[in-house]
Amino acid sequence: MTPFELLEPQTLPEALALLSDDDAGIRPIGGGTALMLMMKAAVLAPTRLVSLRGLQGTLGSIAMTADGALHLGGLASLSALEHSALVAQHAPVITRAMTHLSNVRVRNVATVGGALAHADPHMDLPPVLAALDARVQIAGPLGTRELTIDELISGYYETALKRNEIITGVQIPASAGRAAGRCAAYLKCTTRAADDWPALGVAVSFLYSNRTISDARVVIGAATDRPTRARAAEALLSQSMGDATTLQKAGDALAAEVQFTTDAQGSAAYKRQLARVHLGRAVNAALAQT
Amino acid sequence: MDAKVIKEEQIGRSVPRMEGAAKVTGRAEYIHNIRLPGVLHGKMFRSRIAHGRIVSIDTSAARAVAGVHSVVTGEDIQRLIAEPYYGPAFHDQPVLALHKVRYVGEPVAVVLATDPHVAEYAAGLITAQYEELPAVFNEVEAATSPIHVHDELKPAITFPDLKHLKGKRGTNIALDYKLRRGDVEAQFASAAHVFEHEFHTQHIMHTPFEPFVALAEPMDDSITIHTSTQMPAYVRLEIARLLGWPENKVKVRTAWLGGGFGAKVYVKIEPMVVALALLARRPVKMSLTMEEQFYVIGKHATTFRIKSAVTADGRISARKCEVFWNGGAYADIGPRVSQKSGFTSTGPYRIEHAQIDSAEIYTNLPPAGAFRGFGIPQLVWAYESHTDIIARALNIDPLEFRRRNILREGDEHPTGTAMRDAEFEEVLVRISARMGWDQPFDRGTGTKRRGRGIAIGVKASIAPTTSFALVNVSADGSAVLFCNTIDMGQGSNTSMAQLVAQVLGTSSERVRVTQADTDVTPFDMGTLGSRSMFHMGHAVRLAAEHAREQLEALCAETGIEYQDEHSIAQAFRKKFGMQAGNIFGVGHYTSRYQPADHDTGMSKEITPFWMIGGTGIELEVDTETGHVTILRMVNVVDAGRAVNPRVVDTQISGAALMQMGATLSEEMVFNEGELTNPSLAFYKIPGMRDMPVAIENEALEAETRSGPFGAKGVGESGTFGVSPAIANAIDDAIGVRLYSLPLTPEAIYRGICAARGEPLVD
Amino acid sequence: MTVANRTIAFTLNGAPVSAAIGTHHTLLEVVRDTFGLNGARESCGQGLCGCCTLIVNGQSVSGCLYLAAFADGTDVRTVESMAVEGKLSSLQQAFIECGAFQCGFCTSGFLLMSEQLLAQNPNPSEAEIRNYLSGNLCRCATYPEVIRAVRLAASRPQER
Repeated sequence: MTPFELLEPQTLPEALALLSDDDAGIRPIGGGTALMLMMKAAVLAPTRLVSLRGLQGTLGSIAMTADGALHLGGLASLSALEHSALVAQHAPVITRAMTHLSNVRVRNVATVGGALAHADPHMDLPPVLAALDARVQIAGPLGTRELTIDELISGYYETALKRNEIITGVQIPASAGRAAGRCAAYLKCTTRAADDWPALGVAVSFLYSNRTISDARVVIGAATDRPTRARAAEALLSQSMGDATTLQKAGDALAAEVQFTTDAQGSAAYKRQLARVHLGRAVNAALAQT
Repeated sequence: MDAKVIKEEQIGRSVPRMEGAAKVTGRAEYIHNIRLPGVLHGKMFRSRIAHGRIVSIDTSAARAVAGVHSVVTGEDIQRLIAEPYYGPAFHDQPVLALHKVRYVGEPVAVVLATDPHVAEYAAGLITAQYEELPAVFNEVEAATSPIHVHDELKPAITFPDLKHLKGKRGTNIALDYKLRRGDVEAQFASAAHVFEHEFHTQHIMHTPFEPFVALAEPMDDSITIHTSTQMPAYVRLEIARLLGWPENKVKVRTAWLGGGFGAKVYVKIEPMVVALALLARRPVKMSLTMEEQFYVIGKHATTFRIKSAVTADGRISARKCEVFWNGGAYADIGPRVSQKSGFTSTGPYRIEHAQIDSAEIYTNLPPAGAFRGFGIPQLVWAYESHTDIIARALNIDPLEFRRRNILREGDEHPTGTAMRDAEFEEVLVRISARMGWDQPFDRGTGTKRRGRGIAIGVKASIAPTTSFALVNVSADGSAVLFCNTIDMGQGSNTSMAQLVAQVLGTSSERVRVTQADTDVTPFDMGTLGSRSMFHMGHAVRLAAEHAREQLEALCAETGIEYQDEHSIAQAFRKKFGMQAGNIFGVGHYTSRYQPADHDTGMSKEITPFWMIGGTGIELEVDTETGHVTILRMVNVVDAGRAVNPRVVDTQISGAALMQMGATLSEEMVFNEGELTNPSLAFYKIPGMRDMPVAIENEALEAETRSGPFGAKGVGESGTFGVSPAIANAIDDAIGVRLYSLPLTPEAIYRGICAARGEPLVD
Repeated sequence: MTVANRTIAFTLNGAPVSAAIGTHHTLLEVVRDTFGLNGARESCGQGLCGCCTLIVNGQSVSGCLYLAAFADGTDVRTVESMAVEGKLSSLQQAFIECGAFQCGFCTSGFLLMSEQLLAQNPNPSEAEIRNYLSGNLCRCATYPEVIRAVRLAASRPQER
């Protein structure tokens, strides 16, 4: 790595003022796990890093909002999510996903905001949050805005974030919470070793009452170039009882509607099969928690 | 009292590793840790093309970086060493690329700087112009390709069986071992059954966790090399040859090795650090990254064509083996791998008619060399998969088919060497007993199908080789062993101390073992191929016996009865009037070997001892995804008598789990010669969650009569059976046979689809 | 680019220290090169193998991916802190008794992570040990022995 200017603002306005939309050499750094990898590989040689660690006090919290949404601070660490009682209560799917996300040391350092801003399609958190209808809160020099995960992650390592914007938090609406009767599961499938970037991540969430699924969300990660909703599969699942025939049909629909990518973890054809199979497994895993 | 009677049995004791406290406190010394004042750090600029002539190298931008000491290219090296080519089998590898580059990743230039970050940054500014040449990557293609990696073959004088290749042009074949026994073609023509298959293995890398690291320190009239090597004596010899210096001006020392697995044998980055240090007249350290390791050395990819004739009653009457070893751009020790393992390509079976062609082949890929098993795992993969296919086709139980054909004590191996102290059948018996092979087996239901498989392999040790040892007994009865066997995690220091203590009649804890330092530790061929317990074990035994003779004489002279270290101390005191003096015991051992006949490839003595390992696997396949869960892994080896049973157990299990990685996930993936996954993020080695649900290991109660205290090497035997046992179990579970490693879930799933006539369409 | 451009102050294994660093230096480099503590090592360089494990403010981190500048004002612990006045911790002792290392290069990381695990979960099952330690790699594959050692240490009364 080569030296750079390292600035450590203590407030959000200070931090925003130090970033620049025009200068690709200036980057914000939270936990820095992904950034460090890119810097060590000399893929990235920033001239200035703006550390967001000073904002951890204000942007690192996990709390319920007045309208019953679960707020995850942009600088909350993934292990904070993992161990949060609020998360376990409101969105246990996140708690379970964390235990198999990278490793303990990464989770201790990596942040919610970083996990979204990096936009590596193999990351686990984006599809999970997408399946929970999460809204991403973004602050920039002109104020704040909110995006869905789908709006935020625009492509392969691409986001709608400007270089002078910071993810301040994520909100999971009350309607996506456990208390609202929403069931959710995230399954990931690795193909080379148990601990690996996944070949596929499937996040599902749905309402379940009278033994009937409704308002289903299916989001595919890792096997695609960005987290991808599978709306045909969602439609088949909704108003079904989650029976084997439906799951098979939904799996087939998913396989047909999603554009799978070939990479080191597997061919598109194989990932399509993994997705076909894991949709049903994910739905069953979610049902098992009811 | 019988001189050889001892107080407490040291052989067979699970003495805790002597370096235990150092390793758990983080204080164990590794070369990785060395810091020297004034040291320069070197960072490499590497070729980005697979084959080409170097037109120019532009180092100006790198030189201009503040803090850069110098930038060195192959031509600069030549100012110091006129013929800067090294290698144990062929003098084919330039210290830095000269005139040509032969693989993506080949070192072309080095930046030296006090700050490693500066050196790394500057190395990134170097550019080179090449005249690109066509390249060849596949071993079978390269065997007959008009594209030649080297213009002319330059065998080192070390190996007589390479002499005929000297000066040869127009070929990529760096060794062509042939065995001709009987008449295989006649058997194929008349046999009841003939089976023929082709198997493949992939390139893999050792990834020792202490990546290659060496530091060269020029002195007034000598040089000291601190290096993480398995072969200090050979490093000294080769550096002395390159520099034209006497050996005694080259000092090579090591510390604990952070893993070796065959990666750190012979010379690797030492010639480079030595040349850089001599050019810079300052100490130079090179510490490779994990990524860079992949460009240094790996394990041969292979293509193995195997054909067997089988009689109506299920006996193998003939076997023909054609093995193509992908040696990469530089031979390293590859030709030895191709020949020594080539010897046993037919497997542990009694076969009257045998033909072997085992060829080491240059390609434009990173070099391949020794890797835990020295080529054997690639061979066992093929012949034990083949053997299983035959048994199943003939409706003979795979265990029974093996027992029917297995080599027994006194049998002649196809090379002509007799089997001695080789418990093949007992290994099979123990595996099957532990697995309950004759018991009903739960085959699973629905999308989860279970199967089991076994496999067994054999290795001829590397011979002839020599070990020397020196035991220094101090006046208080404690002893220091000077030996060049390198403890890279296999526990050799502890085991060697046990041998000394056994002979002297002291306790193992009273014996210390020095780290290798060629100024004081005597010659040893090197720590490779599981040779140390046998060869160095004998040398250490002899050195200790020599010391003991002198100690007994000292006791006799001073009228003290020889019992233990207390009596030794008393004798010294009486003789010298105080706690003073030393006794030096020396010993050396050379294994016997008879070179293979040039025409037939046969020999009465290809090995001083046989290594045998087998594995049984029970697994479950997810038929919807191809994922495999290994439910149970049973590893049984004949390691002779276990000097330290706990160390032996760990060696068996470590070897087997390492081979499991090579079987299921590890693969260096190349795209037109460019490695696409040189990192542990994309080259996946097994972690805790990849382990079998249950693993059990057994070292037979056996004795190697020719070995020290009945012992022999064990570092590799656990690898032998793993890959084919897994493939055989997969076949048993789902009726899908795979011919190429690694056995990834996708490969298995594709096999499932193909078997039902619906191949997975991309 | 060689010049150290800031000074950090932190607690290292209980003692207050300060170091002149460059912004591009990792905490691992500082702990090793400035303070000569060699227990943590760089191997994979990507936070996957755990050889570089350090404890910062009570949490494990990969030292090779952690900017030294971020350690300013923190409490840093290395494997060298585990043995107190030469007395090995029960985990260290269990690792020796179970032969839970071979080459030893990854051992510091396994020890620190196991210590963290036992602090959070004093009696972990084999599955819990496998999960927690899955981010540490051992190329010698001494995994079964590590699991045995962690369980052995867990079974003994705390005497650290």
